[in-house]
Amino acid sequence: MNASVSTASGPAETAPGESLPLVRIRGLRKNFGPHRVLDGIDLDVREGEVTVLLGPSGSGKSTLLRCVNHLEKPDSGFVEVAGELIGYRYDHSRLHELPHRQVTRQRARIGMVFQQFNLFGHMTALENIIEGPVAAGVPRKQAVAAAGELLERVGLAGREGSYPRQMSGGQQQRVAIARALALQPRLMLFDEPTSALDPELVGDVLAVIRDLAASGMTMIVVTHEIGFAREVADNVVFLDDGRIVESGPPANVLTSPRHQRARAFLAAVL
Amino acid sequence: MRKSCLWLFRPVSDTPSAAPGRTDRYVTSPSLSGSAVPGPGADQLIARPLVARREDERLLAARLVTSHRPGQWVGAVVVLVLFAMLVHTLVTNPRFQWGIVGDYFVNGSIMRGLVLTLWLTAAVMSCGFLLGIGLAAMRLSSNPILRSLSFGYVWLVRSVPPLVQLLFWYEIASLYPQLSLGIPFGHEFVTVKTAHLFTGILAAFVGLTVDIAAFSAEIVRGGILSVERGQSEAAEALGLGRGRIFRRIVLPQAMPAIVPAMGNLLIGLLKATSIVSVIAVSDLLYSVQLIYQQNFLIMPLLMVATLWYIILTTLLSIGQYFIERYYARGKRRNSGPGRGLWQIARGNLPVFGRTRNDLAGLA
Repeated sequence: MNASVSTASGPAETAPGESLPLVRIRGLRKNFGPHRVLDGIDLDVREGEVTVLLGPSGSGKSTLLRCVNHLEKPDSGFVEVAGELIGYRYDHSRLHELPHRQVTRQRARIGMVFQQFNLFGHMTALENIIEGPVAAGVPRKQAVAAAGELLERVGLAGREGSYPRQMSGGQQQRVAIARALALQPRLMLFDEPTSALDPELVGDVLAVIRDLAASGMTMIVVTHEIGFAREVADNVVFLDDGRIVESGPPANVLTSPRHQRARAFLAAVL
Repeated sequence: MRKSCLWLFRPVSDTPSAAPGRTDRYVTSPSLSGSAVPGPGADQLIARPLVARREDERLLAARLVTSHRPGQWVGAVVVLVLFAMLVHTLVTNPRFQWGIVGDYFVNGSIMRGLVLTLWLTAAVMSCGFLLGIGLAAMRLSSNPILRSLSFGYVWLVRSVPPLVQLLFWYEIASLYPQLSLGIPFGHEFVTVKTAHLFTGILAAFVGLTVDIAAFSAEIVRGGILSVERGQSEAAEALGLGRGRIFRRIVLPQAMPAIVPAMGNLLIGLLKATSIVSVIAVSDLLYSVQLIYQQNFLIMPLLMVATLWYIILTTLLSIGQYFIERYYARGKRRNSGPGRGLWQIARGNLPVFGRTRNDLAGLA
């Protein structure tokens, strides 16, 4: 649980004997026009850990998440997953953007779940789930069998033939989780997975994510579900205005935040 | 009428018949209040009275009658009379010479013209659509040169009437007497005389394809823009390649927006091929013209061409219906069979007054 919070000073050195974190983010900056969305983010996510990103809207949580699988290109800084630079190749003191094909290969090992589910509307649940594996070269028969197991795991056994429109938001989001898991990712990214759901459907989706956490999946979750963060997170990171202002175990960050902005935010949402 | 306040758990004495049957309809039932035995909490729920009036009984028992729309019926009658007049004149006016129409309907040279119209339409549409997809992709690309090229092409082609384009390609030999294949500004491998290459039929094909490509490009671009950005983002996050995202994710979902407009364009094209008669390409209309210029049976022969155009357009409309239904999968909530062809045809007959929801059918 030692995510570095340093913003100006250099990143914390890995102590000898410790394994490399699965995700290392260093000096990440991103502007949208004149607006600075990420202002030097340094963050480690260890294998098997759940990191929850909290913060007011516009604080850069989603952008940070999207930088991890290169859906968003950072202006400076870098993201490393499993020791591999994401989206770039270092050569002669330059970071060269990777060809699209290689970025694609990197993304296939990082699952992502979106706020609006983004299931492919013209495909059934089954077709949604096997699209990634089949594109990656898994034989169709094998992908179909795996998809059946995944649907069972998210509590939707037998719904292979349903189209997204025939399912509730909660069911769609669980299919989206199954779809992301179908590529057997080492890391899962959740971008406000329950924000677009009716309150009574939130529980089912959170239960699936909770199971996933219990199975040892490494995850970065952007959410406003403070209760969920308290229960599942190993590390809570509070962002404000593109910077990490507070981070640590939920017991510390959620109960006695030191930073004034974090205190105000928690007081407002709790 | 005396206004009465009906306390549901203590019915007013003058309406005893209403009380036993109705009370359970208003009083919060035990299952709703959460406990089988009404406790003090349940009492509070029941204690709030509903204000009842005597008319309630009659209103609840009354049957619903939808409103009549007299204006609609008057309009329907007027349209029906006009329609009857049209049918009457078609049947009774001897100058239509329906007998001659029948004689020439499957005439050999007209059939050859019909075949040419059909394959010219098919060839122009296929090539134009593929070109249009390419142009739309260029227009949506991040490369400013490709974007401007596509924009310029569409702007230029849409600004020139198709008839002018056709004549231009037909006369291209006067601009470029020879065409060569070779290295730009360098060595030439093959050279042909343009006049030999650009016969009427090739000029027709090129001219119409160039035109259709521009219009297809705009239709495809609109269709692609109608697909949410999140769809390709999700596909990217799944590690799909660019080509696969376009083919498997974006294009199929753009099709519901593309197909009706393309159907329109195709039917327009089928009829627009008749302008090739000006450059002496023997399509359906030109074949008909050749005959009536000799025997002066202008009207009946024009009716032959008209009937064939109507038949072809009808077939295309039916085809469009099935294509639309195919791409609508996943769009409906219930997965049962969609609206039949008959319902859609019916929905398009305004005299039945059922146009509100059904107009989305055949164009």
